[in-house]
Amino acid sequence: MIRFEDVALRYGAGPEILRQVSFHLEPGSFHFLAGSSGAGKSSLLKLMYLAQRPTSGRAHLFGRDVTTLTRGETALMRRRIGVVFQDFRLLDHLTALENVALPLKVSGQRENKVQQHVAELLAWVGLADHIHAYPPTLSGGQQQRVAIARAVVGRPSLLLADEPTGNVDDRIAVRLLYLFEELNKLGTTIVIATHNESLVSRFSYPVLSLSGGEVRMRTAPAAASAGAGGTDRGSAGQGSAGQGSAA
Amino acid sequence: MLFRRTDLPLDRDPSGRFLPWLIALMVYLAALALVSAMTMGKMVERWDTGLSGTFTVQVPPPEIGAPGAQEAAIDRVIELLLDTKAVRSAEVLEPDEIAALLEPWLGAGATYGELPLPALISVGIDPAAAPDYQDLARRLAEAAPGTVLDDHQSWLGQLLDLARAIELVAALIVILVGASAIAMVIFATRMGLAIHGRVIELLHLIGAQDAYVAREFEIHALRLALRGGVVGLLFAIATVILVARLFDRLDSVLLPELTLSPIEWAALAMLPLAIAVVAMLTARFTVLGNLGRMP
Ligand SMILES: Nc1ncnc2c1ncn2[C@@H]1O[C@H](COP(=O)(O)OP(=O)(O)O)[C@@H](O)[C@H]1O
Ligand SMILES: [Mg+2]
Repeated sequence: MIRFEDVALRYGAGPEILRQVSFHLEPGSFHFLAGSSGAGKSSLLKLMYLAQRPTSGRAHLFGRDVTTLTRGETALMRRRIGVVFQDFRLLDHLTALENVALPLKVSGQRENKVQQHVAELLAWVGLADHIHAYPPTLSGGQQQRVAIARAVVGRPSLLLADEPTGNVDDRIAVRLLYLFEELNKLGTTIVIATHNESLVSRFSYPVLSLSGGEVRMRTAPAAASAGAGGTDRGSAGQGSAGQGSAA
Repeated sequence: MLFRRTDLPLDRDPSGRFLPWLIALMVYLAALALVSAMTMGKMVERWDTGLSGTFTVQVPPPEIGAPGAQEAAIDRVIELLLDTKAVRSAEVLEPDEIAALLEPWLGAGATYGELPLPALISVGIDPAAAPDYQDLARRLAEAAPGTVLDDHQSWLGQLLDLARAIELVAALIVILVGASAIAMVIFATRMGLAIHGRVIELLHLIGAQDAYVAREFEIHALRLALRGGVVGLLFAIATVILVARLFDRLDSVLLPELTLSPIEWAALAMLPLAIAVVAMLTARFTVLGNLGRMP
């Protein structure tokens, strides 16, 4: 699904934010991307959703070298990737419903075919009463859930979430993670960036750990299965073969 | 409605305020230029068909104190004319007919009294077989000294030159109007791209192709140009009607008739449509060109 080999990234003439990053994520896997603030988590995700290209090294997505993609192919590949942006990036002049429907419209789907699906999805993230609300009138947590709904509405093969639990308390954060687990069970490959180590430790998923511009793979933390707050739901089978491997 | 007609809030851009008015002005100018050209063309055509098939021969007024000399000269001229191949008729215009011809210039009721006027002979010919005017003029002058043949050609030729010049100017105005419309739409579209850079980036990130983004700008430009174009056309039509009224009141044979045929009306109506299509295509290629350079 995602294979990075010695990938480096720098912005303009600035310092290398990422250097010699190598890893491989199997289809259907679930990973945390951990690291302190400024470690380069968002930058690594940008490489994965094709908003940045590597300065050097090779990045493969869906079996394609990303540097060989045309603009048209890039657009098509992005339709298979759902992204929850750190700052949500909702369109303020569209309602929650219209925001969530946008990826479907962009990919040319017919309005009448998706109406039901979009409304159901908003209900699923607990926003049934707010489908016609404009983002500026929603709380941070509500906006985040609209952003999550928009990321998953196209049933992406790969879901990338940048601090999706940053604006909510731990209880809601755990609930949002269950939501991602549901998706993962349906086959979506998931990468969740977070600087919240305590959240990571509640689940027993492998962790890509970023520091000093380099990535290390930590396989499922052993402590996790005894963690608080309902890890019982997600722990089964995680961390076993095929979830991921450090390069 | 689940899918907004447009995803970019282009309606709130400054371009929405200035573009329609500029387009309106452009269409107004182009429409008036077109009407001028069409009217001029029609006037030339009218005079041309009115005058071909005839020419005029002018026999000079008699010398003072030589009564009857003009009548004799006229008889010689008519005889010569009727002997000429291709001539079908030759008639001397009566004084009141001449007065009617002069009326637009000199006004009704002008009395010529004893004023010596040249005699005018209107000659009808077979338009398919025009005589050799130069040869005919020479022979007429021999038969009756001072006789002048006017086949209207030099006069009509100048009129045609004028009509062609006006048509050229009109075409130039239409081209300039089109070019400025293109420049304005490029400017407005670039501005829109800059204003909505973040939204466009998001559309790309969720999988939009460049053509999808371009479509938003196309629709916007089409609507603004259409709105402006229709306003400009309405003002132009109002102006034409006003000028036509004025011409009517002046009631002069010199002025052209300002009535348009259905085809000419259709050509005018095409102006806003044409400019809207130009605006749409311009927006499209501006967006595609600019986005192609983005990473
Ligand atoms: N667009 C950018 N241009 C220049 N520097 C950037 C840009 N985005 C991020 N950076 C820098 O890259 C580093 C890593 O940032 P980021 O990837 O956002 O880290 P994180 O998401 O882990 O907090 C930071 O030092 C930040 O200043
Ligand atoms: Mg970040």
